[in-house]
Amino acid sequence: MEVQTLIQISGLEIHRGNRLIISDFDFELSEGEVVTLVGPNGCGKTTLLESSAGMHTISSGSIYWRDDLSGMKLVRDSDGRRNPLPPMGLTLQKNGISGEETVQERMKTVLTVSGCDFDDIKVQELLDCWGLKHRSSDRVSQLSGGLARRLSVLSGLAPALLSKKSRVVLLDEPSEGLDKSAKLLLINWLRALISRGHGIIVATHDSDLISIADRILKFSNGKEVNLSSQPQPESNFIIPNSTNNVPIKKVSSLFNWAYRMEKRNPIDTINRLIPAILALLLSHALVSEDEISIVGTDFFSALILLPSFISVVIPPALISRYAEENCGRWWSAVIGPKFRLSSSIIGSSILLPIPLIYLSWFILSDNLASVDDSVVYWLWLPCLVMYFVAIAASSLHLLVSDLRRSGASVVSLLLLVLVWPFIELVDSLEMIILNGMSWGFSLEEPIFMMFLAGTISLLVWIVSVYLPEA
Amino acid sequence: MKYYGWGLTCIGGAGVLLTAIMGYTYAPLVQSPPFRSPEAYRILFWHVPFAWTSFLSFCLLFIGAISWFLKRKEWGWNLFCTGSDLGLLFGLGVVISGPIWGSAEWGVPWDWGDLRLNTFGLLTAVALFIVLSRKAQPDGIETRDTLSTVGLFGFALVPITAVATTVYQKRHPSVVIAESSETGLDPKMLEVLILGVISFWILMAGLSLLTYISYKMEYELRKLLDKIDEEVVH
Repeated sequence: MEVQTLIQISGLEIHRGNRLIISDFDFELSEGEVVTLVGPNGCGKTTLLESSAGMHTISSGSIYWRDDLSGMKLVRDSDGRRNPLPPMGLTLQKNGISGEETVQERMKTVLTVSGCDFDDIKVQELLDCWGLKHRSSDRVSQLSGGLARRLSVLSGLAPALLSKKSRVVLLDEPSEGLDKSAKLLLINWLRALISRGHGIIVATHDSDLISIADRILKFSNGKEVNLSSQPQPESNFIIPNSTNNVPIKKVSSLFNWAYRMEKRNPIDTINRLIPAILALLLSHALVSEDEISIVGTDFFSALILLPSFISVVIPPALISRYAEENCGRWWSAVIGPKFRLSSSIIGSSILLPIPLIYLSWFILSDNLASVDDSVVYWLWLPCLVMYFVAIAASSLHLLVSDLRRSGASVVSLLLLVLVWPFIELVDSLEMIILNGMSWGFSLEEPIFMMFLAGTISLLVWIVSVYLPEA
Repeated sequence: MKYYGWGLTCIGGAGVLLTAIMGYTYAPLVQSPPFRSPEAYRILFWHVPFAWTSFLSFCLLFIGAISWFLKRKEWGWNLFCTGSDLGLLFGLGVVISGPIWGSAEWGVPWDWGDLRLNTFGLLTAVALFIVLSRKAQPDGIETRDTLSTVGLFGFALVPITAVATTVYQKRHPSVVIAESSETGLDPKMLEVLILGVISFWILMAGLSLLTYISYKMEYELRKLLDKIDEEVVH
């Protein structure tokens, strides 16, 4: 049977900082081989491995992956084109797993995003092989470093293990933190997987792993790469059987994952809610009916919308979840170019604007001398637009989180632009309070002001989501 | 180039000082009314040149960001850095002098209906973000890409601010600055203003050269440090 190419890299040039890490590099990974990347610290092993998965901007060259449907498919090139990866296994240098996930959830997520058919029994079987079955319901944060690393390595191998079609597995320092028995298991699985036709790239310093490679890419003096081959015996090691391939669910898996994390530990909701409620209570305590009658309805409208606005501009907890163990980088590699778009929606405050605006209304409207009851029926409209503001705020936070030291950057300077949609919303609510709801589309109509607020927010969102991917 | 930079900076700086002196001594006082605070108007001899010069600096930033994305050359990045530094410097000049004048003349420091003030406010915030982040982040292609994106984002804010401000201004008539079509700008005021604008532009040219050179030297220094790093590792 003809051996097919799984990854084809040509003319690759990568810079990290001002350093040229890899220059004019050509490489092919074929079915049924393990290739190890070897070299001193900082020589570019991890960069090459991650670039193979399209995770880095490249200065020149192109990276193609074999796709089940379309043959060789462009994953990334130096002109900025980027496409999602075909199903694959990936273990990063850090585990890439959030501490909130349970062990079996992690396995299920990995298998879902790589289009593998599975049931609970299969998941337990896989976990059992790696001595993790008894911890399957535990959160990853409760595992020891070694067990968490086992799970991370298993997550990288499982998509290939269960797939009947040839898959690529990328492993970065997989044996770091593994004990002797786990390392032996890893070596046996690697040899068994390639006997099924999968292709594996391993970045490592481990001499045991290097010794089982079919080819060794040795980095020296920074830019030179030498390739050597060594014959390997056939593996007789028995690993679990593969299953059928099913449709891949990447984006919906990310939504489910984020929802589960928040449900388990609602830090996003609480972080947003507390400042908003404080603002509301302070407004109620400090602003009296007399003061509102003096400063006007626009001030009152601003007070109604302020708690909700505060809640939407707070940094999403999703960013800190992504930062944990490089979890976001794993998702970014898996989802591909749609990662930023999906994250900006997932990370925004979906639930809070509506209850907060209604709550503010019921608490603060006591301070208004005469108020039309019909206003309450139309409050949902500013709530809806506030959701657009939330997405825009979330996308700006994500843009800044791309920086390596994102905590050292002042994202609030960029959030200033969202003052405008807020002001337009305040205007629209003021109009509804003063004149009632109307459906005309002119400057003096609330619908127009809400349309403007929504459009500004959408523009900010589009610019901050699409510009970095362009 | 370094000497040109110093020369232009000194000439520009002297011109800026001279503008301030002439603004206080040579330019006539405006009438009160219509001006609420006649003395405060003199700040315009710096405020307007600050605004024009900062706009030029933001243009440099924009060109630098585009150049970095398209060419990926060091000069593009240096231009971006220079533009952000000067944009911040002159932008701060606008957003500090504007509210001082606004407080005295309108009784409020900020007018949400003033397009220029709001645009420069947001652009200065973007420039401040870029300058602070550049200092805090490790240099690299990813950092440069993200910050250039923020630079371009800053320019996308200009039309957004323009639309939002115009609509706001129509609904809430903005504070009116006293103007008279009969009198126009007094010739002496115009002379000082032109002197101010030219001086600020010369100052900007000098500072641009010096900043650009310093970034170029910084790049050379980093390359040397990387070379030493490589020798240490290998």
